[in-house]
Amino acid sequence: MSGFLLTAAETETPVAAAGATDMLLVTLLVALPLAGFALTALLGRRLYTKAWVIAVPVMIVTWLIGLYVIAQALGGAYGEEGLHFTLYRWIPAGDFTVDAGFLVDGLTAALLIVVTTVGMLVHVYSIGYMAHEPGRWRFFAYLNLFMFSMLLLVLADNFLVLFAAWELVGLCSYLLIGYWYKRRSAALAAKKAFIVNRVGDVGFGLGIMAIWTTVGTLNFHEVFEALPEAGLEPWMITGIALLLFAGAVGKSAQFPLHVWLPDAMEGPTPVSALIHAATMVNAGVYLVARTSPIFAQSPFAMLVVASIGIFTAILAASIAMTQTDIKRVLAYSTLSQLGYMFAALGVGAYFAAIFHLMTHGFFKGLLFLGSGSVIHAVHEEQDMNRMGGLWRKIPITHITMLIGSIAISGIPFFAGFFSKDEILGESFKLGFGWVWFIGVVVAVMTAFYMFRLMGKTFYGPSHVDPHVADKIHESPPTMTIPLILLAIPSMFLGVAIGWPPEGGLIHQWLGPVFHEAEELLGHELEPYAIFGIDGFLLGASVAVAIVGMVMAWRYFGFRVPLLGAEVQPRARRVEVLTERFRGWYDASFHKWWFDDLNHLLFVRIGGAVAAALWWFDVNIVDGAVNGVARLTQGTGREIRQIQTGRVQNYALGIAIGLLVVAVSYLVVTPR
Amino acid sequence: MSGSLQSYLILSALLFAIGTFGFLARRNAIAMLMSIELMLNAVNLSIVAFGAFIPALRGDAAIIALMVMAVAAAEATVGLAIVIAIYRNSRTPLVDEYDRMRQ
Repeated sequence: MSGFLLTAAETETPVAAAGATDMLLVTLLVALPLAGFALTALLGRRLYTKAWVIAVPVMIVTWLIGLYVIAQALGGAYGEEGLHFTLYRWIPAGDFTVDAGFLVDGLTAALLIVVTTVGMLVHVYSIGYMAHEPGRWRFFAYLNLFMFSMLLLVLADNFLVLFAAWELVGLCSYLLIGYWYKRRSAALAAKKAFIVNRVGDVGFGLGIMAIWTTVGTLNFHEVFEALPEAGLEPWMITGIALLLFAGAVGKSAQFPLHVWLPDAMEGPTPVSALIHAATMVNAGVYLVARTSPIFAQSPFAMLVVASIGIFTAILAASIAMTQTDIKRVLAYSTLSQLGYMFAALGVGAYFAAIFHLMTHGFFKGLLFLGSGSVIHAVHEEQDMNRMGGLWRKIPITHITMLIGSIAISGIPFFAGFFSKDEILGESFKLGFGWVWFIGVVVAVMTAFYMFRLMGKTFYGPSHVDPHVADKIHESPPTMTIPLILLAIPSMFLGVAIGWPPEGGLIHQWLGPVFHEAEELLGHELEPYAIFGIDGFLLGASVAVAIVGMVMAWRYFGFRVPLLGAEVQPRARRVEVLTERFRGWYDASFHKWWFDDLNHLLFVRIGGAVAAALWWFDVNIVDGAVNGVARLTQGTGREIRQIQTGRVQNYALGIAIGLLVVAVSYLVVTPR
Repeated sequence: MSGSLQSYLILSALLFAIGTFGFLARRNAIAMLMSIELMLNAVNLSIVAFGAFIPALRGDAAIIALMVMAVAAAEATVGLAIVIAIYRNSRTPLVDEYDRMRQ
């Protein structure tokens, strides 16, 4: 270990307990999954059915190391500033130097909890889920590569390493969405995800360049220290913040770049759970939270973040209410929840945003893995119209998914309740009444679509293919154990770190990280009053959650005898409801025509413009170049005729030339 | 008429024209070389004539004429050598069959 080149960066607070061991462990945290990727990629083909034997143990070890690092970081062993060290100088180019450095503070640790735990459980789950998949070594190799990239992303201590990791997770996302590359829709979805992300990443890249040109460093702490003193115009800070936010919008699939995430469900379900619900899509939230001192200096940028967040929340929730593909409902739900997080970041409720990120990571990971188990049970059927009545047949999946649904709906004492309530409550108390109001509407819709999903899948009348119905069975333990392990934090994580409100563990952990931004914003929160305004807000969000749940239950759940006889069959009632809100239903069902709009704007109109430019290029630009070439060639071909190779023809030429010279001399010369 | 510079120059021009015609019209390489000699001698004639009729040019003209003869002798030597070399290659003295330069 002594041979390892690790140098402690100069931090102002001397770090007592963080020795070389911690640095080595943090390095291992990224090195192990990378090694796992390399080994699986090289040897995977020879491991045949046991392709997971490298990837999964590596991930479990990484998780254990992660737990140690998290405990150290959150236990205060790394001090207020966190553990900060440089592995090596990555780019030494004159003035421009970038170090491959790591930073482990409260925020990183909070993200590490979700990334390592969900990552590890998804790896275990994949053993069962991918058991019959040929070429699964490729899957496990990509999963390990993703874990490496994601851990690098949260551990990076400067913008450029973050950006590299940012692109790496995007690459892994692309590879895994397109895992079944022979299926055209999967290949297209992978491309869509990659290209839509590029749009946001252009902004992110420009933002990093803007930071470099204005501040002259890319290290997080140095940037945050130097930015207020750099004497920038307010519009420049707003510009930097919005450019960074563009990257976050792409990665976290916020409006208007939200279109890639639902299509990303073409990938295998563990991928949807890990990348497109629990970890990668949170990278945007992480970025905005990490750069909160920049955002806090620009009220306009904060407003944009809040508006886009809450708008995405309600837009996605409205779409989720009518989708029939179980994974798509969850995908839109993810968009909606990410919207909540951005809304929280925009109003300045940083703790609530990261809190919700953590709880959401667990319960949405659980819901996705559960949906994978359901899909497995009904033989790769994803359409909820062809499910139903499964609750008795796959009890473990049912119970764990029910826990996840309750958690996301915000029913008291489950994880989502605390985090969502904190977002809504703080928005209201910080003076963003409209964010609170839309958030409450979204909460109703969330409860509705989640219990619609549960009803259609587990409780309603069975529409399962009769050939399949007899063979439905619970998934193997490698799949159910991760479900159970995820259900535990979905129940208790909220109370564990979020209680008491505004004073829970999460506030202690993240306090130093958001201290600067909070000071810049000058937010003064009144003490939490359960019998005052907070109690009212709490009651409101619980009430709306229950309203949404009951509504969904009435249409999609089972019949409750106590409520009296059925007036008309459930299917009929759903039809009547659909008919009454035909326009809204169509808009929601067609996802507000965003895909069609994009198709028109970028494929049709953009394609026509491109075709016109192509025509111009081929005919005018190339035509000019080729024309010159053709002219020269033609002239040469014609003139070549006079080159007969016969001496006398040349001599004739010389004689004629001589004659011409002589005659013109005689004519021109004055006598 | 005879004894004037003009008559010598006209004779010289006629000889040069005959030489040019011969060079352009004859196909035989030897005949072409002879035509060249004719042209050179036509030029020599005019030089000598200038020398004879213009006293200021007398010395120079004699030297230039000798020079031209020397060059003509050298040219004839080299030219004949080339012609013989080509003849050995292509077995013909006719220049219009020497079109290998075209390639």
